Amino acid sequence: MTLVKESPPVTRKARSGAPAVKRRGRRENLAGYLFMSPWIAGFLLLTAGPMVASLYFAFTDYNLFNTPKWVGLDNFTKMFDDPRWQKSVEVTAKYVIIGTPLKLLLALGVALLLAQSRRGQAFYRAAFYAPSLIGASVSVAFVWRSLFSDHAIVDRTMSVFGFHVGGWVGNPDWILYCLVALTVWQFGAPMVIFLAGLKQVPKELYEAAELDGAGAFRKFWSITLPMISPVLFFNVLLETIHSFQIFGSAYVVSNTYCGPADATLVYTCYLYQQGFKNAQMGFASAMAWMLLLAVALVTAVLFWSQKKWVHYENATEDAR
Amino acid sequence: MGTSRNVERRTILKAAGASAAALGLAATTGCGGDSGTSADGTVTIRYSWWGADERAKKINQTIKLFEKKYPKIKVKTDFQDYVSFWEKFQTQAAGGNPPDVFQNAVTFLRKYDKRSVLLDLKPQIDAGTLSLDNFRAGVTKVGEVDGKQLGVPVGSNTMALVIDKKVFQKAGVEPATGWTWDDYFKALKTIHDKTKVPGDTGYFSIMYLYDLYLRQNGKAFYTKDGLGFDKADLTEWWQDGYSRVKAGIITDPKTVEQDRPKSSLSAGHGASEFTWDNFTVRYTAEGSSEYGLAPIPTMDGKHTGQYLASLMLSASARTSHPKEVAQFINFMVHDPEVGKIMGYDRGILASTQQYDAFKPTDPVNKEIAQYEADTARAGVLGTITPHPSGADTIEAAFLRIGGDLAQGKTKPSAAVKQFFDESQAAFQA
Repeated sequence: MTLVKESPPVTRKARSGAPAVKRRGRRENLAGYLFMSPWIAGFLLLTAGPMVASLYFAFTDYNLFNTPKWVGLDNFTKMFDDPRWQKSVEVTAKYVIIGTPLKLLLALGVALLLAQSRRGQAFYRAAFYAPSLIGASVSVAFVWRSLFSDHAIVDRTMSVFGFHVGGWVGNPDWILYCLVALTVWQFGAPMVIFLAGLKQVPKELYEAAELDGAGAFRKFWSITLPMISPVLFFNVLLETIHSFQIFGSAYVVSNTYCGPADATLVYTCYLYQQGFKNAQMGFASAMAWMLLLAVALVTAVLFWSQKKWVHYENATEDAR
Repeated sequence: MGTSRNVERRTILKAAGASAAALGLAATTGCGGDSGTSADGTVTIRYSWWGADERAKKINQTIKLFEKKYPKIKVKTDFQDYVSFWEKFQTQAAGGNPPDVFQNAVTFLRKYDKRSVLLDLKPQIDAGTLSLDNFRAGVTKVGEVDGKQLGVPVGSNTMALVIDKKVFQKAGVEPATGWTWDDYFKALKTIHDKTKVPGDTGYFSIMYLYDLYLRQNGKAFYTKDGLGFDKADLTEWWQDGYSRVKAGIITDPKTVEQDRPKSSLSAGHGASEFTWDNFTVRYTAEGSSEYGLAPIPTMDGKHTGQYLASLMLSASARTSHPKEVAQFINFMVHDPEVGKIMGYDRGILASTQQYDAFKPTDPVNKEIAQYEADTARAGVLGTITPHPSGADTIEAAFLRIGGDLAQGKTKPSAAVKQFFDESQAAFQA
């Protein structure tokens, strides 16, 4: 906010006449757009253009080679009859519903611990954040694949406690949890956001609560949670949308097959298979738009629900 | 924002120029299609194939020989593994930018002929640029579709039973020519009983093996435009396969899944696997045991249903250098030196010049040569018909659904229905 006060337009206006400023302003705008032009062109050519094209393809029969043939809503109705599409929806839903809350709970829990001042705080924060930086990489997915194989560390550790599951990677009942573990392990990004939120909660509120005899849980439930609810909302929204788009880890951990027995056939993986392996580009485009609709719907529900649980009080003003 | 007031026309022009240059650059290199003719008449052609590093090393050596002999032709290369190769190829071909010349197989001929991607090499043969003389009997037929020559074979191979010799020896099992399926499954049980190693890695989801089984029964996997078997046939085949997994004589599908991208045979989790005979080269490099070739089991003690398949070189119908591409293919299939370098990496060398030039000295290559000689002598080789369009998708579906079934995640009848539905879609695509 202070930046605005210091910026020079006021003095400039005093020195030169208004029309000159206008001309210069326009020229500055032009320069700005020119500097942006590679990105604008990139957006139009590489994002907006393909999106419009895929919207059209979604209503056609298109195998990449033929001229797209208009089929109306066929691709969309076909989807609901396709057992593999249903499977991909089921797998993705399971992944989102199990993975996202776990990740956020862990992120919030660790953030609460790290919010207290103690020695080596910076180190712990960095250490917990690190997986978020490398977690999305293909090499980590490879590491994951070997960690969860037969006789590897996870299998052995579980055997010690009497659980003989074997490798998770080859087992259709377990491999999805391998992916869930991979995403939960990357809790660092939402954790940092939670930390920032926790720092904003005014100390006075806790002091007042303590005077009234509130315990730790009561303080968390009645002060911390409502005060960080905007941050919580932001994290829920971001992580949910992000979870829907899972592709890389499923693709690599399952060794590109999204198996076994379609157990890791997440939505985008099936979309990829239909589009680029089976050359059903019309169907794949329809799937893509369906995903967009689904994510939009979930987002809308979240926004609607925030009226009920998100508190946008201006904390700093109240404290003053 | 305070510093931006000195933006001058020159700066704007510079920015505009830079953006335009960047975009222009993107336009020329974006499509990656830089095969063409340069000022001094040098022609560049693009060549891609699938295979492991070993194959790439050999092919690069042969390209050096070619460029020495034809200094006016430069070859740009590119390779991936089988699955990625065809994914990339499909996208490139759809964009009108396939490589000028590429490795091909019988499964893809009709598919890409239907999509007008493949160059008919007949005119080049008639012009004398490319010769189909001096090939081992019958192999050039593999590249023929509806009177067009869409590919020229570099090597021939046939389906075989690749075995882990050490495990077979330990179990005291000796595969014999003309053995029956009953003999084979008994052998798997003996192997499992005596060595604890499952006898086979999952025969029932291999399209090419089921094709042989059907041929032994007077059918085939494909007709000219569809599937050559019915739901009852496949239900029986998969039902039997599943009960053998349950019996433990076939590798646990969970293990197969974990061994990928390695084969469970070379990982030591199975004693035999049905695949192409030239795969012993790969498994010997990959695994720690000794691998050999055994005869395909039969119904009647004689007919194996085998045929000679082949890897081929094909050209793009959109190439602007058909003559140079034909010269390249001609050199690669006939030059004796190329044969010496390649060996049996892509199957037994197809042209007689190359076949005579390479005499295998190592046991693995020797055994492949012996195997194909024996198979040919036994008089069991049938002819192969080019697979209908969509066969590549169907091959993958057969493997995947067979795997689902083995995992016990679907019932044979449901699996068969799913397979037939997906096949239908693939033929229509």
